[in-house]
Amino acid sequence: MTTRILLVEDNEMSRDMLSRRLVRAAYEVITAADGEQAITLVRQERPDVVLLDMGLPIKDGWTTCKEIREEDAIANTPIIALTAHVMRADRDKALAAGCDDYATKPIDFPMLLEKINALSCGRVDGEGDNKGDSG
Amino acid sequence: MSLRRRLTLSVLAILLIFSLNVGTHFWGSVARTESMTAYRQSVAAQELTTSIGLQLEEQRKQIRVLAALRDTTDDRLNEEDRKLASSNLRSVSDELKALGRMSDDVTRPQYNALWQSGTQLFPAWREFYNYYNDAGYQSPFPSPDAPALYDVVQQRLSYLKERQIFIAEQRAAIIDRTIALTDRITVIGFLASIFLTSTLGFFLVRYTSQSFNRLKIGTMRIGSGDLDYRIDSIEDSGELGELADAFNDMSGKLRNAIDEVQEAKENADQANEAKSHFLANVSHELRTPLNAIIGYSEMLFDELGDTAGIDKPQFQRDLQKIILSGRQLLSLINDILDLSKIESGKMTVHYEEFNAGQMLEEVCQTIAPLLDKQGNNLELSVNTTLPAFYNDATKFRQVFLNLLSNATKFTQAGEIKVSAEPRPGDADCVVIAISDTGIGMSAEQQHKIFDAFVQADSSTSKNYGGTGLGLAICKEYCDLMGGSITVDSEEGVGTTFEVILPVRVPVPESDHAVA
Repeated sequence: MTTRILLVEDNEMSRDMLSRRLVRAAYEVITAADGEQAITLVRQERPDVVLLDMGLPIKDGWTTCKEIREEDAIANTPIIALTAHVMRADRDKALAAGCDDYATKPIDFPMLLEKINALSCGRVDGEGDNKGDSG
Repeated sequence: MSLRRRLTLSVLAILLIFSLNVGTHFWGSVARTESMTAYRQSVAAQELTTSIGLQLEEQRKQIRVLAALRDTTDDRLNEEDRKLASSNLRSVSDELKALGRMSDDVTRPQYNALWQSGTQLFPAWREFYNYYNDAGYQSPFPSPDAPALYDVVQQRLSYLKERQIFIAEQRAAIIDRTIALTDRITVIGFLASIFLTSTLGFFLVRYTSQSFNRLKIGTMRIGSGDLDYRIDSIEDSGELGELADAFNDMSGKLRNAIDEVQEAKENADQANEAKSHFLANVSHELRTPLNAIIGYSEMLFDELGDTAGIDKPQFQRDLQKIILSGRQLLSLINDILDLSKIESGKMTVHYEEFNAGQMLEEVCQTIAPLLDKQGNNLELSVNTTLPAFYNDATKFRQVFLNLLSNATKFTQAGEIKVSAEPRPGDADCVVIAISDTGIGMSAEQQHKIFDAFVQADSSTSKNYGGTGLGLAICKEYCDLMGGSITVDSEEGVGTTFEVILPVRVPVPESDHAVA
């Protein structure tokens, strides 16, 4: 089963680059350009992992993350924060908003993949168990 | 009153009482000695008077006996006896004279009376002895006159003696009184000096220790950090007052110094924080294009290894993005350098003559490709009466290139107008306005856009490019050129930037000299 990733990034170049690299790495990728759109897509598509840029228009990354966490149906969605802010305080701020992990730009792609896998594996297994129980 | 004056006055008062005591002692001593001398003299005169009285009485007895013998017998005085009698008589007379020398003013009247009667008695007695052997001599003794004369002498002698006794008693009384008086004065002076010394000492110590205590309290208060504390209750125009004043002065200066240090520290902290913020922003801004460069490069590198072959047009487009990001990175670095140069005050202005209208036309030509891409229409209107500028042409060009590219970037298929007019009522300034019909900004955004790294929206740079430094640099350049820049905008309607620049910068004296 392919891991489905929601990439939320407002910069067109970054979104294009990262989504293409993830597709090349055999992930299923859906994209969003702002926070509102991201929440809608999380509800509809139930991605396995969300890569969330923090500096988004309309609704920024921190608010988006908090709102996802507050909505029971999608609260467990794994979220990895993406940001060019690299200070310790920025990292803490992202984790405090509810992000599971944190990746800085420029993106270290192999490490990002590790983080995605680490978060999606547990989730996929969990879902598999649930299906097993119900089936 | 100063401490020194208080001390001096106290010492003077004590010295005064002390000298009063010493003076009294000397005066008493002199008075006693004088009275004692007079008393002794009086006593000696008394003794002499008594002796004279006894001798006179002896003489009288002798004369009476001799007179009786002469009358009843034929015995006569031999020469030896006569001489002895004369000598005795002379001796009494001499003693009487000596008594005269001892008698001073207070006994003189009595003595004079005695002397007068003596001068009558002695010749009579002398005559008696001289003519005793003379048969024809008629002795006056014991006639009734002679005893009368003698009695007068004796009586006056006793008057003199009484007088002498009276004087002696008086002298003795004076001595007693003098001793009593000096004793009393000495005791009173002694007690007064003890009282005065202890009272003055008490007040001096109390006053001084109070003042020192206040100074001590003040020192402790200041020492514990209460720098606004002032010593204000020392009533002393002298050393302690001056000390308190100096102390207050010191604490005031200390307060100021600490305030200054505090302020300097706060300024330094602020500057430091601004610097950290700036660095964090720089780091953030550099990472965004680097993300694209590294990401695309790695992806293209991976694609080169694909067995399926390369989509060449796509490959070229991706390389183009790397180049674009690299250029963006370069212009960002240049902007950062410019801004840090401006902020450290190292940005200099190079004055030269240039034509503003021509310069604006050149800028419009440079921006033309971007205008076409965005489908914007540009209208340039420069007042033909504009004078030639004497200012920094490079900075002028950069400011308007920046403003125009912003206007173009944020406007899609709209109108952009550039106008240059002399400032109404001020021929020395020119107003250059750049207005667009683009996305516009809120009032809050307009407030921040001239700050470094601030774009109206944090996502603006991602959508529209730019470093967020352009307007900050524009503002700094306008300031350097002696002008100003303002913005007026409405969301969804458009934005107008208005730059006011002096035509000729007032050149400092030194520059004239060089020119």
